[in-house]
Amino acid sequence: MIGDRILGVLLLLLAVAYGWEAAHFPEPFGGAEAVGPETFPIMLSIILGLSSLYLIVRPDADEPWPHLAMLGELAFVLVILAIFATMLQPVGFIPATTLMVGVLCWRMGARPLPAFLTGIGSAVVVFVLFNFMLELHLPAGLLDLNGG
Amino acid sequence: METLNYLLQGFAVALTLDNLMFAAVGAILGTLIGALPGLGPANGVAILIPLAFSLGLPAESSLILLTSVYAGAMYGGRISSILLNIPGDEPAMMTCLDGYPMALKGKAAEALAISAIASFIGSLLATVGLVILAPWLAKFALRFGPAEYFALFTLAFATLGGITGKNQFKTVIAACLGLMIATVGVDISTGNQRYTYNILELYEGVDFIIAIVGLFAISELLFFIEMHAGEGLKKVTLNKLKLSMADIIGVLPTSLRGSVLGFISGVLPGAGASLGSFISYTLEKRLVGHKGSFGEGDPRGVAAPEAGNNAAANGALVPMLTLGVPGSGTTAVLLAMLVSLNIQPGPMLFTQNADLVWGVIAALFIGNLILLLLNIPMVGVFVKLLSIPPKYLMPVVTLVASVGIFAISNSALDLYFMIGFGLLGYVLRKLHIPLVPIILGMLLGPEMEKSLRHALTISDGDWSILWGSGLAVGIWVVAIAGLVLPYLIGPILRRRMAAQAEKSHSVVD
Repeated sequence: MIGDRILGVLLLLLAVAYGWEAAHFPEPFGGAEAVGPETFPIMLSIILGLSSLYLIVRPDADEPWPHLAMLGELAFVLVILAIFATMLQPVGFIPATTLMVGVLCWRMGARPLPAFLTGIGSAVVVFVLFNFMLELHLPAGLLDLNGG
Repeated sequence: METLNYLLQGFAVALTLDNLMFAAVGAILGTLIGALPGLGPANGVAILIPLAFSLGLPAESSLILLTSVYAGAMYGGRISSILLNIPGDEPAMMTCLDGYPMALKGKAAEALAISAIASFIGSLLATVGLVILAPWLAKFALRFGPAEYFALFTLAFATLGGITGKNQFKTVIAACLGLMIATVGVDISTGNQRYTYNILELYEGVDFIIAIVGLFAISELLFFIEMHAGEGLKKVTLNKLKLSMADIIGVLPTSLRGSVLGFISGVLPGAGASLGSFISYTLEKRLVGHKGSFGEGDPRGVAAPEAGNNAAANGALVPMLTLGVPGSGTTAVLLAMLVSLNIQPGPMLFTQNADLVWGVIAALFIGNLILLLLNIPMVGVFVKLLSIPPKYLMPVVTLVASVGIFAISNSALDLYFMIGFGLLGYVLRKLHIPLVPIILGMLLGPEMEKSLRHALTISDGDWSILWGSGLAVGIWVVAIAGLVLPYLIGPILRRRMAAQAEKSHSVVD
């Protein structure tokens, strides 16, 4: 109930903001046409607005949401993925992947040692496969001995 | 005759050594994807798109690879239905009804073999149907003007929830979100910037491949973590296969009927593979009636839904290839592949890219044969894979998905976007907002807006052109029916499907 209502309100806001912005697009170079850059977005904003009103009025039953601890866990997973993305270029593929896969395996219930081994194993296999067989170069980072 | 010529040309494309290899690799990967827990066909194909893309494969090879994956996933989905009573994906639900009881009776190997044969027949007949129907439909679709296309795109969204869809408003919301994301970037025909906020990376719009991988793969990872589903499924052992010719002949008529029904429901908008297997199963049950032992492990109860769902999967390629309008999640993902290869789907595909289309169709025949050969002797290998615990599998899958995204443009920003879409996908799935219409909206958005523009330019701003021809009116009627009918028929159908599943459980327990 409450989940759908909140979503409905957010979507309604989105629809209004989106439509308002579309209505204020500058007129395209060459003058207005029957269908300008704003026509289609305005149609979408109206449809979305009406549907979100329906959600607010007639919400479905809620799915159980995870507890606070689990939400923290999920946020942690997203952070790990973001750290992986940030590390990839400067530090290199193999360390970043070992960390990401290792931590994810561990968080999903594997013991630390097998988790770490899965991490480093998959990192090396994917790196070798991509760099030497498929010739797609993944960042070597700190391990690049040629001083790249 | 013309068609046959094209088909032979297609085989010439598909039978090159490279493409044969891609078909075989795709078939193996597809079966893996179908069999492994937590990797649906749409998900699997989505993860492989950026890889095929960044490897710089030629268009026909990438498409052959991915359609083989698609076909393979349909084969793989049945394995866990039969052995563990856990459907790999929704269409495989009906296979549980008789497949699992067969496995309990110690006939798991037979059930797997029969379902492989039925799948083969279903795919084969549906591919033949595709060969006959697609060129005809493509020719017919040449009559479509922009107004008809606009109506057709609306129809695609309206029927996407399927006849069994629960809340149509949520489908509409999802479609709107997808279309809205598609409007981000520089407007193609006027050059106006829309919703870019002067961020350079947004000028080209949001890449739908990143969105697909994020929405499907990353949100799946989050769901696995939330459900603590890290442990593997219980180990299963297979008995020795004892299948006689008589057994195969016994399920032939069932498979043929199932194939025809499945193909029809695959082609029709809004029906899809789930309904295909459901109709095939229930009709077969009614037809054979008391002579069978349906629900207690009748081989025909395995053959009917499997033939039905494989036929429906291939049937769903018909509207995707000829009209550019996919009817299911996985075909939407295949469409994403086409669009990212810069190939415009639609009726012109059959004239402009004849080599490609017929190559892919020929590859479906070949891939299907490979799958049958692969699945009967090697099923034991795939069965072993079922017991790989997701706690090791999902992180590696996430890795492969991220590497694919990273390889497209070597930018960390794409990965951040992927993570963002993953979070969005998780929240939306929790609220039962379907993800497929979002993808479809992102894919079809530009085309839909273009056809609206063309139509209104032709009519000089008169909106009534959108329902100006008989054809357009017909499409609108179907679209509206697609939106409204689920409210009338949906509850009945859903109750019946649930009742079926219930009954089988009570027999099993």
